[in-house]
Amino acid sequence: MVEIRFKARVDEEKCVSCPMCENVCPTAAITLPRKGAKAVVVDDQCVGCPNCSGVCPVDAIDLVLREKPLVVGVDASDVDEDRILALCRKANLHPQQWLCLCTATRVREGAAAVLKGAATPEAVALMTGTRSGCTVYCLQPTLRLLKAHGVKVVQPKGYRWYDISQTCWDVPEDVRKKYPGHFLEEDLEVFRKI
Amino acid sequence: MSTQPTPSFVRRSVYGPEPKQRAATLPGLVGLEIKRLFPDVPEAIYLEGGDLAAMREATRAALRDVRMDMIREGHSVNILASQYGFTLMGGYAYAEMLKTIKDVVRERTGCKKIRLRVCTGFRIREPDEIIQHYGLEESFPHAAAAVRPIDKGIPIETEIGTLYGVAKVYDADWIIHAHHGELRELDMHRMINRAHKPFAMSYARMETRAVAHMNFGPRSSNFIAKVIFDSRFVQSKFTFGCFMLTSPQGITGVAAGSDLDALDRKLMLVGFKSYGKIRELFAEIKECIAVLDATGEPRYMIGGGLTFGNVTEAELDLFDLDMMPVSLGFGLYERPPHQPRAKSVNPALKALVINHMWLGVPQLELATHIPTIAVGQDMARLLRDDPMNHDFMRHCVTAENLETAMKFARAIARTDNVIVFDGSFGRMTVSPPLAEHLTARAPDVSRRVDEQLMPKWLRQRGIDPAAAAQVAM
Repeated sequence: MVEIRFKARVDEEKCVSCPMCENVCPTAAITLPRKGAKAVVVDDQCVGCPNCSGVCPVDAIDLVLREKPLVVGVDASDVDEDRILALCRKANLHPQQWLCLCTATRVREGAAAVLKGAATPEAVALMTGTRSGCTVYCLQPTLRLLKAHGVKVVQPKGYRWYDISQTCWDVPEDVRKKYPGHFLEEDLEVFRKI
Repeated sequence: MSTQPTPSFVRRSVYGPEPKQRAATLPGLVGLEIKRLFPDVPEAIYLEGGDLAAMREATRAALRDVRMDMIREGHSVNILASQYGFTLMGGYAYAEMLKTIKDVVRERTGCKKIRLRVCTGFRIREPDEIIQHYGLEESFPHAAAAVRPIDKGIPIETEIGTLYGVAKVYDADWIIHAHHGELRELDMHRMINRAHKPFAMSYARMETRAVAHMNFGPRSSNFIAKVIFDSRFVQSKFTFGCFMLTSPQGITGVAAGSDLDALDRKLMLVGFKSYGKIRELFAEIKECIAVLDATGEPRYMIGGGLTFGNVTEAELDLFDLDMMPVSLGFGLYERPPHQPRAKSVNPALKALVINHMWLGVPQLELATHIPTIAVGQDMARLLRDDPMNHDFMRHCVTAENLETAMKFARAIARTDNVIVFDGSFGRMTVSPPLAEHLTARAPDVSRRVDEQLMPKWLRQRGIDPAAAAQVAM
């Protein structure tokens, strides 16, 4: 379980209604409801990452302590183990590998979230607590799990995230051959063994 | 042989409270001179506090024969810098190299639109702090800007499909790749395309960084940097690279050129020569207390010219490409076909004292693998509130001050070996027993690297050891 102790708070006096916070929020918790409007935070959707407060050009956003921590996480034990393994295998991910290093969340928990119905990176983050730290590393395994499950991920407007997920498995053979000394085939073999 | 410690300057930041006492002031610690351990490690042209004229001269000399004729007077140029360069030896040397590059380009081309892009990792406000601290706004009036991995991206078509750079990196006619040769995270680059790495990190959007870190490896991660660099888009803007070279002795020179593959080869050879022995020597430490006391995050904090991350991984020779700690997402230390688990930490580290550090990298494995003591309530609060290390303080205790932290660390670690990561180059801040041990082990380490390891590292990368010996450092 991940304990989210902070949430973003917008100082409306300072907010200049630029879209920067909206574009960096990993869970779409902070939005500008319309052009010229002040930024609004949906508390239950905010995972307390440092992005919006970090990029705000006028320091209008603070991270403040929640009255009560938001506790999130997925219990993978109530999802059929074979389905978790099958999804992980299809995504070329090991169920025990890290999904998110910041929250110590494993891929199996992400797989369980997807199998329980999370259909976007934002939904996986809200269910598992991932993307509440650096917001970076966990996006790749999340996208890979969603795509392996057959979800058609739709890149959001703006630049909240871009839909790319190349892996060692996807490098065409001719490219692999073109780059000897880069250990593409050898590392693929490492992953295959795992 | 041992002299006074020489801790590096600590920069003020919102990412870490100022230390009340520097570890180097603790009674009994000494500065063990690197040149006495390994006289053949490349010598410094600049050490912190020295005359920056040496940096200006070295940069000008390195740029003398570099082609710049593609840059016309009316063009725009982005000099690309990375935040880590500013943590080395107080950061002034790197800042001086950047300013000198600008001066030389202007003199040679007449170009006036020379901008600076200061790129960062997870500390989003750090580039603005850097620009202010080093007076870069004065050197680049209205032309110094922060670049963060979450800023707007730009698609780059590569041989493995679209990857994303950060738009602000590439919003000029030309780019200059101004980096450094410090070893930093060997587990990620393995001295393969070390020179290209920022194209998949500092200059890249977060998705691209995660593709390299999470979807490739343990030796192929920098393939992503290579395909981005080789893309038509990047090639259409790239002018030259300029690297601040380092060894544990200090800054050893500047290398520049428009052939990045050739520069990469030089960085690799200099890297082996500079860091091979000190890294191997750290593997000779069988038990110690480590003290973190410098600018930056633990993983990239320097002690005796080498990053702490290289010590937490010291029991593995990561120059050796037969070593296959699997990639970041798996945890670092499990060889296939064993089951992955949390990345472990060099068991020689018996206690860890955090006197000063910055937030900025997930590093829970430190607290879960080493008895860890945070010094003071300010540091404890910083760690408790760090969103990148949710559970860190659940595994860590707090001491009132540095002296009580050290007393407690000695009690649980039961060793008098102390090493401090205080940003020092040229000297390693250690306790006398550890200084004696390292001094005694250095000759064997030197021989082992020269006779066995170095030839192996070179051959693994297709380089004839005899030919490598002829390359000027």
